[in-house]
Amino acid sequence: MAPAIETVNLTKKYGSLIAVNNLNLSVEVGTIHGFLGPNGAGKTTTIKMLVGLLKPDGGSAKILGNRIGWDKPNLRSKVGYMPELPKLPKHLKGNELLDLYGRMYGITKDKRLKQVPTLIDLVGLKGRENDLIGKYSKGMQQRLGLAQALLNEPKLVILDEPSLGLDPIGMVEVRDIIKKLAGEGITTFLSSHLLHEVEQICTHVTIINKGVAMASGTIKQIAAKLTGSFAVEVEVDKFSEAVISNLRKLPVVKDIIREGKKLLINLKTRDDARSEVSQAIAAAGGIVISIDLRGESLEDIFLRLLDKDKVTAHGRV
Amino acid sequence: MAIVQPERIAKFLAVVRYELLWNIRKKKFLGMLIVAFALTTLSLAGGHIVSAITGNPVEPDMNFVIDSNLGLGGFGFFLFAIVTIMNTISGEFESGTIVPLLAKPVSRTTIFFGKLFAAFLTLLATYCFLMVYMAIGGTVIYGPQSNLHLLPLSLAGALFSTFVWISIVLLIGTIFKSSLIAALGALGIWFGTNIIGSILGVLSGQGWILTYIPGSGNTGFVGESPQIGFPVSTGTDSIGPNLVNYILHPSWIVTYFKINFSGSTPGQIFGEELYSEPLSIVIFTSVAVALVYLIAFVGISWYLFKRAQVAE
Ligand SMILES: Nc1ncnc2c1ncn2[C@@H]1O[C@H](COP(=O)(O)OP(=O)(O)OP(=O)(O)O)[C@@H](O)[C@H]1O
Ligand SMILES: [Mg+2]
Repeated sequence: MAPAIETVNLTKKYGSLIAVNNLNLSVEVGTIHGFLGPNGAGKTTTIKMLVGLLKPDGGSAKILGNRIGWDKPNLRSKVGYMPELPKLPKHLKGNELLDLYGRMYGITKDKRLKQVPTLIDLVGLKGRENDLIGKYSKGMQQRLGLAQALLNEPKLVILDEPSLGLDPIGMVEVRDIIKKLAGEGITTFLSSHLLHEVEQICTHVTIINKGVAMASGTIKQIAAKLTGSFAVEVEVDKFSEAVISNLRKLPVVKDIIREGKKLLINLKTRDDARSEVSQAIAAAGGIVISIDLRGESLEDIFLRLLDKDKVTAHGRV
Repeated sequence: MAIVQPERIAKFLAVVRYELLWNIRKKKFLGMLIVAFALTTLSLAGGHIVSAITGNPVEPDMNFVIDSNLGLGGFGFFLFAIVTIMNTISGEFESGTIVPLLAKPVSRTTIFFGKLFAAFLTLLATYCFLMVYMAIGGTVIYGPQSNLHLLPLSLAGALFSTFVWISIVLLIGTIFKSSLIAALGALGIWFGTNIIGSILGVLSGQGWILTYIPGSGNTGFVGESPQIGFPVSTGTDSIGPNLVNYILHPSWIVTYFKINFSGSTPGQIFGEELYSEPLSIVIFTSVAVALVYLIAFVGISWYLFKRAQVAE
C-alpha cells in the first residue's frame, strides 16, 4: 500500500533560512507517526506544505498516494488537520463552527446532526458547545481544533503539537483519542517537541532538527539503532588512574566519562558487562560501591542527536 | 463540465453562511444599518433644518426621494465599501482563522467569491433598508413622491458605485493582509482622486481625466448655461442618479465648460464650451470605467488570494 505521507527531498526556504531541508519522510498507513524536533526544527513548516498552506521550494510530496499540488480541495477532503494552537473564529459557537466546517466538507445535514455532538463529547466540550469560541480557554480551543480535524472521518489525521496548552488530564485524553483513531485504522501524523509524548503514543517516529531528518523508524528501531549499546554506571571508592587504564583494556568498553567518584562507562555492545567491569576495578585496587546497567532512553538519543548537531555546527563556524 | 456540481454550490453557500455570521455577530451589519440610518436621517432632516433657520415652511417636493440618491454621496459609498469589505480577506489572515479555513476541501476561488457574495448581500440588505426608510421618510416630510418605481435603479447604481470602492479596499487588504492598511490606503486613494484629483483636473482644464478615475468624476451641465443648467457628474459614484435621469429624460445632452479662475467675476468662472455628449454616453462610459476597475481589482485580488501562502 502506498504510504499515507511520502515526501521526497521536500524543501522550504524563508529567505536565506532553510526551514526544511531535503526532507524524506514516509508515514505508513495505520501507524501513529511522531514528528519530533525542538522549537524551530521545521515541523510546522513541513506540515503546512503537506496541507497546502505553503508552497515547497523543492522536492515533492504525496498524501494518500496523491501528489500535493496547489489548492487541491479533493485531497483535503480525506485529511483532517489540526493547526498548531488553532485559531478559530471567536464569534462562532463551538457547535456552529463544527456545523459550518461540516458543510464545507459537504457532510449532509443528518450526518452533521449526529457527528457534531459526538465530536463535542469526544473532545470533552460537552456543556460548552453553545458558548462562543471567544469565551473558550486555550485548552478548550485546542480541543475544538482536534474535533474539527475529525469531522470528515479522515483517513489521515495531521496534528501539529496536539497537546500544546493542555493540562495533564487533557493530554491523557488527547492521547487516548489518538490511540482510538489508530484502532479504527486511521493514520496519525503528529508533531511534538515532547519526547515522552511521542514515546508513549507513537508507533513510529521521525526526528527532525534544523530542517533535516536525523532518524526515522519504529520507536524500537530508533532506540536500538542509535543506542546500540548499554552503559555501566559505577561508583568507585579508592579510585586511581589504574582503574581507568584497566577498564580501557576491556574489549567491550567504548569510552569512559568520569565525574568525581562516578564513572559512566559506555559499552560497545548491548551485553551486561557489570561483572567484567567490577573485576577490572577490583584488580586496580578500587572498591565498587554501586553498579548499574543503563540503556539509553529515547530522551538521551534525542539530546545526543541535537548535541552532535551542535558540535558539527560549531565545527563549521 | 459546464454544469456546476450541486456539491460546489453547497460549499459556496457554506462559505457565504460562514461570512454572513461574521458580519452579523461582529455587529458589522448593525453598524452599517446605524450609519445608513444616520446618513438618511440627516438628508431627510435637511429641509427642516433649513426651514428652522430661514423661517420658511418646508415646501412639498415630489422629487425629493428620487433625487436624493438614497441620501448617499461619494463619501457615503466609500464609507460603506470600507465597512463592508475591509476585513473580509485580511481579517482572516490577521486572526489566523485562515489556517483551518483553507484546510477545508473548498477551493480558494469558492472561498474568495463566497466571501465577496456575502459582502454583496450585506450591502444589499443595508441599501434596501436605506431605500425603504428614505421612501417613507421622504413621503412623510415632503409629501407624496413621484417616480418611486425608479428607486431600485438608484439602488442598483449605488451598489455598483460602492463595489468599485470595495474592489479597491479588497485589493489593498489582500496585498497587505491588514485591515487597517486596507482602510487607510483606500482613504488615501479616495482623498487623492476625489479631492486633489478634482482640484488639479479642474485647475489644469483637464477635467475629462476625472471621468476615468473612480469617484465623483467630471461635471457637465444640461441646459442653456452652467448657471441655470442641471449638473451631471460623470464619475462612477453617479451611475445611479444618471440612470434615473436617463429614464426620465432620455434626450438630455451634457455639456462641459472650461473653467476660468483668473480675471473672472464670481459666478462667471465657466468659460467657453468644451464639448457635449448625450447622457447615454456619460452612463455608458461610467459603467464601463466602473466595470474595468471592478473586474481588474477583484481579479487581481482573487489571483493573489489563490496564490497566497500562509506563513504566519
Ligand atoms: N513566517 C516565517 N518567516 C520566516 N521564518 C520562519 C517563518 N515561519 C517559520 N520560520 C522559521 O523556520 C524555521 C522552522 O519553523 P517551524 O515553525 O517550522 O518550526 P517548528 O518545528 O514547528 O517549531 P515549534 O516547535 O516551535 O513549533 C524556524 O527557524 C523559524 O524561525
Ligand atoms: Mg511548530
